Amino acid sequence: MTTVLAFFFPAIFLLTFLAAFFKKVKVYDSFTEGVKGAIPLILSVFPYIAAVTMLSKLLEISGLGEKITHFLSPVFSFTGIPQEIAPLVLIKPLSGSGSIAVLSDILERYGVDSYPARCACVAYGSSETIFYIGAVYFAGLKRKRLTSALLISIISYLASVVFCCFLCRIL
Amino acid sequence: MRSFYVINLLGEGVNARNPAYSNPMNTLFSAIFAVCTFLLLCTSPENFLPAMLEGASRAATLCVSLLATYAVWMGLIKVWEDCGVARGASKLLKPAAKKLLKTNDEEALSAVCMNMSVNMLGISGAATPYGIQAAKLLDKTENAEYSSAMFFVLNATSLQLIPTSLIAVRVAMHSSNPTDIVLPSFLATLFSTAVGVILTRIFLFKKKESAGAVPDFIPKTTRAGTR
Repeated sequence: MTTVLAFFFPAIFLLTFLAAFFKKVKVYDSFTEGVKGAIPLILSVFPYIAAVTMLSKLLEISGLGEKITHFLSPVFSFTGIPQEIAPLVLIKPLSGSGSIAVLSDILERYGVDSYPARCACVAYGSSETIFYIGAVYFAGLKRKRLTSALLISIISYLASVVFCCFLCRIL
Repeated sequence: MRSFYVINLLGEGVNARNPAYSNPMNTLFSAIFAVCTFLLLCTSPENFLPAMLEGASRAATLCVSLLATYAVWMGLIKVWEDCGVARGASKLLKPAAKKLLKTNDEEALSAVCMNMSVNMLGISGAATPYGIQAAKLLDKTENAEYSSAMFFVLNATSLQLIPTSLIAVRVAMHSSNPTDIVLPSFLATLFSTAVGVILTRIFLFKKKESAGAVPDFIPKTTRAGTR
């Protein structure tokens, strides 16, 4: 699997640059133009990531995080989700950068390649910031009938978290 | 509108003064922050400031590694865009999108496809402008209720081929094999999207058919929705 991926990444770049050559695209100009876009993107997310990392640090040392996790652990152990990733599962639908912060926290605490950390990664990747999409994409539209769509998204998100924890156990 | 097209990446940065969107994080953040600080005040107040600083420095490290990853992928995406690859990919997606969304509106469909093809790369911020445009256009089509709902579910459960930000975080944390989670992560997004699409299909498509016969059905769900 990893060897396939090892070929995959350089192959993508090579193909793209070849295509660019045939399409007479100025690769250097175009590539740097794209890279430039990364800076404002990061600047825009830094405040949110910082706020949540500070908060998660506070949660950790005040002991509140442990209490919450302990309180929720019956629900999580019932569904097979490791309770270590509880905070991530809860924050993911609300905040994208917040969940990146929580994710890094979990990775640091339990080790990047541990079982809970792998579950956390997959849970993070399994869906988008659901409430944000509802708010931004559909803001300003008159028809507000997305409640059922929102519910469906949350259900499929939770289902996929359960599914991916199962996946991490067997893969 | 335009400025937050550009600066949104991970689902944040919505105007704090925008009345249309009250971010649930506001309540959540202040509540948790207050409780934690209170607990610390009672137990070990001297740990408060070091914890805040440590949190902030973690954020700085993370952002540097995210910057590196996005620099790589956004460079590539820009070249794709200029070659017309994104457009080509969105053409490939079009028949599928047509079937899923049940709409024939060409303009809306192409915005949807651009949104989906960028989303697949795991950079949701770059997909936002297309997403907003698609949502607007879909709202005007005749089958709007079903297609907007389906579009929402597709985006919320987001099908991702390469989990770009995930790999970035794992690199930052010195994983022995950062791309290790690509396969399980792909399967998980596939699973969530499939569940979402099937549920939408079952629950909302029928509703749409009966909506023709019972016209007052739609306002009812709207009212329930605003609560």
